Amino acid sequence: MDAIGIVNYLVGFAIMAAIYAVFALGLNVHWGFTGLFNIGIAGFFALGAYTSALMTTKPPDPALFEDFVFGGNWSETHFLDLGIDLWFFLGLAAAAAVCGIIALIIGYVTLRLRDDYLAIATLGIAETVRLFFLNEKWAANGSKGLYRIPAFLEGWVSPEHYDYLYLVVVLVVLSALFLAVERAVKSPWGRVLRAIREDEVAAEASGKNVFRFKLQAFIFGAVIMGVGGALFAHNIRFLSPLTFDPLLATFVIWAMLMVGGSGNNRGAILGAFVVWGIWTGTQFLPGIFSDPNFRFFMIGVLIVAVILLRPGGILGEERRITRAADS
Amino acid sequence: MEEQPILELRDVVKDFGGVRAVDQCSLRVMPGAVAGLIGPNGAGKTTLFNLVSGAMPPTSGEILFRGRRIDGMRMHQTFELGLVRTFQIPREMKRMTVLENLMLVPAPQLGERPWTSWLIPWMVDRQERRIESQALEVLEFVSLSHLADEYAGNLSGGQKKLLEFARTLMAQPRMVLLDEPGAGVNRTLLRELSAGILRASVERGITFVIIEHDMRLVMALCDPIIVMANGAVIAEGPPSNVQQDPRVLEAYLGSSFSGAA
Ligand SMILES: Nc1ncnc2c1ncn2[C@@H]1O[C@H](COP(=O)(O)OP(=O)(O)OP(=O)(O)O)[C@@H](O)[C@H]1O
Ligand SMILES: [Mg+2]
Repeated sequence: MDAIGIVNYLVGFAIMAAIYAVFALGLNVHWGFTGLFNIGIAGFFALGAYTSALMTTKPPDPALFEDFVFGGNWSETHFLDLGIDLWFFLGLAAAAAVCGIIALIIGYVTLRLRDDYLAIATLGIAETVRLFFLNEKWAANGSKGLYRIPAFLEGWVSPEHYDYLYLVVVLVVLSALFLAVERAVKSPWGRVLRAIREDEVAAEASGKNVFRFKLQAFIFGAVIMGVGGALFAHNIRFLSPLTFDPLLATFVIWAMLMVGGSGNNRGAILGAFVVWGIWTGTQFLPGIFSDPNFRFFMIGVLIVAVILLRPGGILGEERRITRAADS
Repeated sequence: MEEQPILELRDVVKDFGGVRAVDQCSLRVMPGAVAGLIGPNGAGKTTLFNLVSGAMPPTSGEILFRGRRIDGMRMHQTFELGLVRTFQIPREMKRMTVLENLMLVPAPQLGERPWTSWLIPWMVDRQERRIESQALEVLEFVSLSHLADEYAGNLSGGQKKLLEFARTLMAQPRMVLLDEPGAGVNRTLLRELSAGILRASVERGITFVIIEHDMRLVMALCDPIIVMANGAVIAEGPPSNVQQDPRVLEAYLGSSFSGAA
């Protein structure tokens, strides 16, 4: 590979790592700060990705595909023709909204119950979303998948430079989400979430409506995951139910948060880059070492190593010492 | 006109499977009182607190707080009515600082709405400053100032007890239920604790119900004293009467009482 090739490879890598970082931030809101055990990230991942894709992709030519009736052709609908790809933002917003609504429903039903119900429900929603898009061919072309998902501002730069542009877009979204989450979890709202994570009963005895805060946190995290799914869809530009394999859409994200540092937003982002680096880097290893199973095994080894050496992750949660009164 | 009780229990029962932890319990606590709740281990004292605070619903019976039914309410709802409780085994937020444990408590807090930190951060900050200085004052009061920035999980047993008590002071309670506040607290701090309770009672008109095994503390601090055994109230009255009540002596001596009397 020449220098340009290496740069392009690294840019492609950074885009995916940054998208994963978005998911790690979402999981941090769920697990890192509130203690909500979401083991069905893949569900929100897929919902976000499919929602944005369906909002923006033109139905394929019936001559080319057997199953073609899907989507709304929203990409043709420029509400305000500002010369900007407005549909991209609509897709992002719709992905966020759909995930938020689904989280509201799941959360409303399960968050009053014992903790394990949420875990089962998230696992259930992941499987339901996958089976829905697999079996309901009218919705998104079934197992053949959605093709030609448009890329954001595609016409603005030449195809060989497009990834540079998209990397900037993804980094801007990631930074905005990072700031939003950081603000929220450092506020009194975040203090209640951490209290719930530490001891639900004590939080309730401190006058907090635990159910309401958990519901808010669950929705907030799911909205972030929805945005991540949308960013992913416009990067890969092809989606099929197989894309949302639990290993790559749930397990690795947990690995990222554990390695980077649960309860620390910088840690979540760092973890995404480290784990994604190991995952993609190991594909160049010779022979059996580039086997996906072996690579997952490597991630497992990494998690164990971090847990043994630095139980809180590379950047563990920081003790919050505030002295607003002095400043 | 006779004064209304702030807390009233009518025939309250709590069953755990086959075990009747609270048995036809009826009692009244008058506003401003510092009531002691004593009884041998397993008498049902903590369970009674759990029922009153809303940690669990009673099997049957009625609980009224300021004339209003509260049985079946959740703990955050009774908290909103001004009823705050502590736990026998302290339940601090381990990976939060002592200061944060206290700053959590006041309600309502503007910053507890998720969007306020994005849209009106300066207003949240202003409220935070107020809450923080209140928390620092309370820490001073329970002599834990030097541990303000320590993780609550790192405190000693006695310090955790004081933190529990401090938490109740952060609320603006009408009534505080303290479950063995003195357990594990050293002598000096214990004196300050009872002084603190009396002061809160006199200056802020807070009503207390205190479960305590330390008889010297109870007899010095509390009036009336309510005695429970086997889930039922067996005696009630001023300390001197209760101490001489034969039923009380029997309840204690006839059981595996751990020798605090
Ligand atoms: N959650 C529960 N599930 C089952 N049984 C319980 C539960 N809580 C209390 N009990 C039982 O109810 C009875 C009363 O317990 P409780 O803790 O109220 O006693 P107590 O008076 O507070 O005793 P102690 O002085 O030891 O704290 C005991 O027999 C106890 O085992
Ligand atoms: Mg008890």
